[in-house]
Parts: sequence; C-alpha cells; structure tokens
Amino acid sequence: MNLYDWLLFLHVTGAFFLLGGIVIAGILNLAAITKNRPPSQVASLYGLIRFAVPLIGAGLLLTLVIGLWLVHEADYGYGDAWVVTAIVLWVVASVLGNIDGKYQRKTGDLAQRLAAEGDAPSSELRARLRAPQALAISYASGLMAFAVLGIMIWKPGA
Amino acid sequence: MLAIVRPDSWNLPLFLHVLGATLTFGATATVALLGFAGLRGDPERAIWLRGLAFRIGGYVLVPAFILMRGGAQWIADKEYPGGAKTPGWLDVGFIVTEPGAILVIVMLILAWFAARRPSFRGAVAVPWLASIYLVALGIAWFAMSAKPGS
Repeated sequence: MNLYDWLLFLHVTGAFFLLGGIVIAGILNLAAITKNRPPSQVASLYGLIRFAVPLIGAGLLLTLVIGLWLVHEADYGYGDAWVVTAIVLWVVASVLGNIDGKYQRKTGDLAQRLAAEGDAPSSELRARLRAPQALAISYASGLMAFAVLGIMIWKPGA
Repeated sequence: MLAIVRPDSWNLPLFLHVLGATLTFGATATVALLGFAGLRGDPERAIWLRGLAFRIGGYVLVPAFILMRGGAQWIADKEYPGGAKTPGWLDVGFIVTEPGAILVIVMLILAWFAARRPSFRGAVAVPWLASIYLVALGIAWFAMSAKPGS
C-alpha cells in the first residue's frame, strides 16, 4: 500500500464518519418530530444525537484535510471545477450544520427542562421541533454533504 | 497520475453502493445507540427505545443494506464480468455483506422480541451485534478504499 492508498482510506473514513453522523442525527431528529412525543422522549432522543456530533466533527476534518492532500497527491488541480464546487458545498454545509446544531441544542435543553417540570405536552417544544426554517437548514446541510459524495464520484470536468 | 480513472458507466452503481454503505453505517450506529439506551431506565422507556431500534432496523437499515449490496453487485458485474476472478479486497466486501445479512436478520429478530418483553434477556445482544457489524463495515471500507494486496 502506498501513500495514496492510505490517504484514500482516511478520506473515505472521514466521509463515513460525516455522512454516518448526519444519518444518525437525521433519523433521531425525524423520530422526535414525527409524533407528538412527551418532552422526556424528545430529551432522550436529543441526548442520543450528541453521540453523532464528534463523528460529524471528525468527518468534516478528515474529509477536508485529507481531501486537499489527495488533490495534490493525485495531481488534480486546486482550481478544478469539481474540487472548488466540493469545497464550497463543504463550507456551506458546515456553516448550516453549525447553525442547526446550536438550534437543536437549545431544543434539547428545552425538552429536558420540560421533562423535569412534569413532562406535560408543550406547544413551544412542538413549534421548535417543527419550525420550517430550522428543518430547511437542517436538511439542506445534510443534502449538501451527500451532494459532495456525488461530486467525489462523478468528478465533473475532471 | 495516481488516481484510478474508471469508465463513466461505473459511476452510478458506485454512487448507489457508497450511498447505501453510508446509510447502513448510520442506521446500524443508530440501532446500537438506541439498543444500549434501551437496556437502562424504567421498563416503559426501555420498551419504547427498543421498539424504535427495531423499526429503524426494518425501515432504514434493511433498505440501506439492500442498496449497498445491490450497488456492489451491479459494479462488480461491470468490473469483473462473466465470472472473472475477483480480487481479495472485493471478496472482503462480500464476506462482510453475506454473513452480515444473517447477522442483521438475527439482530432484527432479537430486537422484535426485545421490543415486546422488558425482561427479554436477548435484548442485550442487539446493540452488541450492531456494534460488531459496525466494525465489519469498517473493515469493508478499508478493503474497498485502500485495496490492500492489489
């Protein structure tokens, strides 16, 4: 195995961490919003989402750093359209993911507080869980990450 | 140029295979998380979490696994047509998916029972089987990406 093989393995590992983490967070988020769950159940699901966060963070770091190294190692150009597009999507997905992460953390905190205060159904929690703008940011971020996967495979213009 | 240039016609099956693999990884990890969480706490909460683990296994993991395995077969048929000898790294993928399918089925059966009976002892096996499968998936993506021995 040469350097390229190792770099590719680490890059793919980063992609699995990133996309796998997004899938975990997405599934648990969907499970929280699809039914009118009591705050304690929402808090439990959001408590599990936190395990996806380090996975997503490690994935973001590995995909970018090793990806840029691979561009050099495989003699692609940093100005190639597919490389630039992938980096732009990576940055936008990261920014949206960060905004979404902060929003979800506050929702999780609210669910935990409501659970401790009697676990009564809350319209405020329901509204936060189903806020269209927040959902749009969340799913746009995830879809962009999967779009980068497509760009990595098709490499348009390469 | 070190990068391997592959025919354009391989891109779609490869994309579907990798998409399926990432979804399988995420869904398996979710089943493991819910399974471990469902081993603790009051019986009502445990049953709810185990039921969720079972449904995610059925509705997300199984379709993702089929997408991963179907994509793998599609691209393998293009790359090694007519029963041509396959390299070791590809065989590793088949080893992970074929016995892996049995592992997933056993895990889902146990998850189904675990979601019905709080005292079901086999409930503890569900998250551990999911964890074992995560390690197997890691071995497969090492073989698929680094292609050792090729």
